[in-house]
Amino acid sequence: MSLGEVIFVVICLVVALGALGAVLSNSLIYAVFFLLLTMGGIGGLYIYLKTPFLAMMQILIYLGAVGVLLIFAVMLAGPFWRRPKERGPFLKGVAGLGVSLLSFILFWRVLRHHPWEVGPQGEVSTSRIGRAILDRYPFAFELISLLIVASILGAIMLGVLSRQGPPKAEED
Amino acid sequence: MIPPALYLALSAVIFTIGVIGVLLRRDAIVIFMCIEMMLSAVGITLIAASRYLHSMDGVIFVFLAMTVAAAEAAVGLAIFVLLHRIYKGVKVDEINLMKW
Repeated sequence: MSLGEVIFVVICLVVALGALGAVLSNSLIYAVFFLLLTMGGIGGLYIYLKTPFLAMMQILIYLGAVGVLLIFAVMLAGPFWRRPKERGPFLKGVAGLGVSLLSFILFWRVLRHHPWEVGPQGEVSTSRIGRAILDRYPFAFELISLLIVASILGAIMLGVLSRQGPPKAEED
Repeated sequence: MIPPALYLALSAVIFTIGVIGVLLRRDAIVIFMCIEMMLSAVGITLIAASRYLHSMDGVIFVFLAMTVAAAEAAVGLAIFVLLHRIYKGVKVDEINLMKW
């Protein structure tokens, strides 16, 4: 087992344990940090998959943007250390496992019986990604920028709304 | 060379943990985090497939999905902070503002 494989196994364990911790942790802020661990590990997996551009994107967006936003939200929505222990019924977890297993079996059968065609060899470089976006998916790219503008405007509107004071929760 | 099945298995594990988290937890922020986790798990699958099939499509899809996740985070967390002022804690089964 080479060093690269050892590091790969460690990253896999970090990702899986981080995901478990994010779901099972009682403290909200610990759950956020576990999630960030998972996201960073997934960025490491992207490097193993030879797409360093997406690894950088993952780290920038998830660890940088979403992580900071989540921590802000948790801090603003505190006091997170005084939350009572909450756990849904155990049966729901079994249901989730069953749903995932069913979809896994479905996808496995589809994957096995689909005739996959392997394209020509080639490194996934950043310039190839940029060319593919502008050549084959320009419409999706434009739509995504529109979506980002709309979401920024929506977040600003929500901020303005919250400054005007909360609306009445119980009208009746 | 790492076998592609390993990536698919890891992605399935993370996706399953995300689904269980969405069903089990009642805190809206944790549910949001589990949804992000599921998105990333699908991203691993797509990139592993596009790596072993020498295709570019998976990379583009993950790029777009990441952008959608960032936009979702911006709006969703603003809504959570707003909801917290009304309800003191964002539990999904207590929020009934839009129910008549």
